[in-house]
Amino acid sequence: MPTPFIMPKMDMDQETVTIIEWLKKEGDKVEKGEPVIVIETDKITSEVEAPANGKLARVLYKENEEAPVTKAVAYILADGESEADLPKVAEKSEPKDEKMVNKDEGTADKLTTQKAATPVAERLASALHININQIPSSGKKVTKADVETYIKSLDGVQPRVSVAATPAARRVAAEKGISLESLTGSGPRGRVQEVDVMEAASLQIQETRKPASIPGTSIPMVGMRKRIAERMTASYRAAPHIYLTVEVDMTEAENSRKRLSALADRQAKPKVSVTAYLVRMVAWALKRHPYLNASLIDDEIQLWDEVHIGIATALENGLIVPVIHNADTLSIDETNECLRNLTRQARNGELSKAQIEGGTFTISNLGMYGVKSFTAIINPPQSAILAVGSLVRKPVVIDENDAIAVRPILTMTLAADHRIVDGVTAAEFLSDLVEVLETPDLVLFEKTIQRTRQGNSKDANWTDEPEHE
Amino acid sequence: MPEITCREAIHDAMVEEMRRDKRVFLIGEDIGVYGGAFGVSQGMLAEFGPERIRETPISEQAIVGAAAGAAMVGMRPIAEIMFMDFILLAMEPLVNQAAKARYMFGGKAKVPMVIRMPSGSGTGAAAQHSQSLESILMHIPGIKVVAPSTPYDAKGLLISSIRDPNPVCFVEHKLLYKTKGEVPVEEYSIPLGVADVKHEGRDITIVTSGIMVQKSIAVARKLEAEGISIEVIDPRTLRPLDIDAITRSVKKTGRLLVVHEAVKTGGWAGEVMASVSESSAFDYLDSPMRRLTGKDIPIPYNRNLETAAVPQEEDIEREIRAILNNQY
Repeated sequence: MPTPFIMPKMDMDQETVTIIEWLKKEGDKVEKGEPVIVIETDKITSEVEAPANGKLARVLYKENEEAPVTKAVAYILADGESEADLPKVAEKSEPKDEKMVNKDEGTADKLTTQKAATPVAERLASALHININQIPSSGKKVTKADVETYIKSLDGVQPRVSVAATPAARRVAAEKGISLESLTGSGPRGRVQEVDVMEAASLQIQETRKPASIPGTSIPMVGMRKRIAERMTASYRAAPHIYLTVEVDMTEAENSRKRLSALADRQAKPKVSVTAYLVRMVAWALKRHPYLNASLIDDEIQLWDEVHIGIATALENGLIVPVIHNADTLSIDETNECLRNLTRQARNGELSKAQIEGGTFTISNLGMYGVKSFTAIINPPQSAILAVGSLVRKPVVIDENDAIAVRPILTMTLAADHRIVDGVTAAEFLSDLVEVLETPDLVLFEKTIQRTRQGNSKDANWTDEPEHE
Repeated sequence: MPEITCREAIHDAMVEEMRRDKRVFLIGEDIGVYGGAFGVSQGMLAEFGPERIRETPISEQAIVGAAAGAAMVGMRPIAEIMFMDFILLAMEPLVNQAAKARYMFGGKAKVPMVIRMPSGSGTGAAAQHSQSLESILMHIPGIKVVAPSTPYDAKGLLISSIRDPNPVCFVEHKLLYKTKGEVPVEEYSIPLGVADVKHEGRDITIVTSGIMVQKSIAVARKLEAEGISIEVIDPRTLRPLDIDAITRSVKKTGRLLVVHEAVKTGGWAGEVMASVSESSAFDYLDSPMRRLTGKDIPIPYNRNLETAAVPQEEDIEREIRAILNNQY
C-alpha cells in the first residue's frame, strides 16, 4: 500500500500549515528522512521529512496553499507500486482554500477524466447521484436539458435528491442553519463532514461582511498573518483590557545607560539600547509583582516563578516576539547582547521554536518611530504588555516651587488582563517601574525578590496573599 | 503498590474471598495437586483442603451443574472451566438453569456462582482451545459477563463477581496471565457494569476488551507522538454494558472503532455499534463506526496464520489511520 505523507502537527492547537515549497516534484525519488516540504507554522518555517522510501505521488496541495495537519498531503509509492495503487478518492480536506488561492489555475489536474458538461448539468447530475458519463450529450457538452432528458428516460423513476453527510455534519448544519446541498464534502465520495459545515459557517460570516466590489489586491490570510489575527482576536475577546499610562523622567536612567555604554565600549561591545535597559528594569519590577508575570489558564491563575520577557519585533510581513528567558537573572550586558542576537535572528528568520516560546510578559517599543504613546493587545496567555513610546525632551515641573526644567520624558502604557490584575495592582507595578527608572540605583540597593515562597510548592503559585485583596 | 501478574491477582482474589467467606469454594479439573491448567490455583489445595478445592472428572456439565445447585442452596462456588471452548458442554445447566432460576422462582432462588474461563488464541492451542466465545454468553439474559484487561481489574472484578448474587462468567484471556500491573495490598473491589477509560483522547474512541485493551493502549501511546489522540474505553463488564461511558466518549471524538478478538459475525462489536446508533451519540458521528475483529474462521494451528487471524497492534494502527484519513 502506498504510504500516505501525513502533515505532522507541530503545535497543540494547530489545524493547518502553509506549504511554502515542495523540495521534490511528483515522480521524484525520495528517501525516508529526507526533507521534502518546507512549511510555515505560526511563526517559523521548518522542513517536513519523507516518511518512507519511494516515489512522490499525488501531491494534493500546491505551494502557498494551506494544508490540514494529521492528514495526507501526498503519497509515497514503494518499488513496484504505481498510481493505480493509490486510494481511489483524493481526500483533500479544505477545498475552500483552493478557491481562495490560485484562482486563475484551471482544473486541469482533475483526477478522474470526466465527460465535458456545463456547470449546471454537472451540479444537477451530482445532486441526483447520476454519473455524468452515463448521460448522452446532444452537443459537445452535456447540458441541463440532456440531464433532464436522461432522467425522463429512466421510466419515471425519479432518483432521490440527497446529500451524503455524516450525522455530525447534519447536526451542525441544522444548528447553524446551513443547507447541506450547497456544500462540497471533503469525506470519501464527497461526503460532507463536520469540518466542511464549520468552514461554510465561518465563510458565511465573512461573506456578509464583504464590501461592494472595489478593485484591489486580495491577500490570503495564511501562515503568520492568520496566526496573528487569531491570537489577537482571541486575546481581545477573552481578556478585558485595562490601560494605565505613566510618564517617566529618564534623566537618571539615561545617565546610567550612558555610563553602562561607556563600560561596554571599554570591552569593545556595542552600546546598551533603551530596550535592553528597560527589559532589565521591567524584570526587576515584575519579580515584585507576580500578578503581572502570570497567566489565567483553565480557571487557575498561574503565577510564574521565572521571568521571560518577550520583545515585539517587526518583520517585513508581520510580527514576531522573541523571548529573553530568565531576564531577571541577566546582567544588563547579557540582556543587551541577548536582545541584539534575537533581533538579528528574527530579521533573518533564524529563530528557533524555543526562542519564541515561554514568554511571561511582553514589551512593545515603538519609540524609534516617533510614536509618543500607544496601547497594545496582550500576548496571550500572558497577563500584561508594556507599550513604550519615544523619549521626548520637554519642559516639566521638577519641584514643589513649580520650577520648570527640560527633561527626557518617556511615556509608557501598560495593558493588563483585568480578570486577574486589578487596577491598583497594575498601578503599583507601574509605580515601582517608574521609581526604579528614576532611581536606577535601587536595583543595586534592594534585593530583587522581596517575597518568599514556602517550601518547594510543585507549581508556580506564590503562597502568600496578593497585596490587594 | 506492588506489581503482580494477572495470574497472581486472580489467585489472590480467590484466596482472600475463601478466607473471608466459608461458603466460597473452587471446583474444576486439575485445580488441586496440579494447580490448574494455567497455574492459577497453585498452593490452594494445601491451604483449603480437598473439600473446598474440589477436583472433578472431565465433565463440564457436571462442574457447572454442581456449582449451580450448590449456589442455589447457599454456597458461593467458583467453577473453573479449563478452556472457555468447553463451556459449550455446560450450556444446559448454565443457560437453562443457572441463568433463569432467580427469575422463574420469583426471586426466591439466587445463583451466586462464578465460572472462570481462560479464553483466546496466541498459545498455539489450535481451533478447539483458542476461541473467544463471550458474545454467545452475552446473548443470555441472567448471566453477567466480565472480562478484565489488567491485574488491578482482574482482582477487583473477580471479588465483585464472587459477591454478586447472579451467575457471572469471568473471561480470562490466556495471554494476560503473565501481564504485570500495580495492585494494592489492601482490600478493594470494582463494581460490575462500570467501564474504565484506559487512555484519554479526543480524535477517535476505541472500545475494546481483554488483551486487545493492552494492544490498543500501545497503539494509542505510539500515535500520540504524531498528534493522533485516541481514547481507549474498556467496558470491563461486557454484560451489563456501560453504554453511557461509550456514548460519552463518542460524543467527544465523533468516531468509533470497536476491537475484539472474537470473530466478526454476531460478535459484541455489533452490539456496541447498534447501541451507539440508537443513542444520542448518533448525531455526533463524523465517520462510519468500524469493527476490527478476529477473522470469521476457526483459529489456525500454524503460528503465522494464528497471528494473522486476530487483530494485532499493526492492524489497529492501520485501521485508525484509515478512519482518520477517510480511507475505507
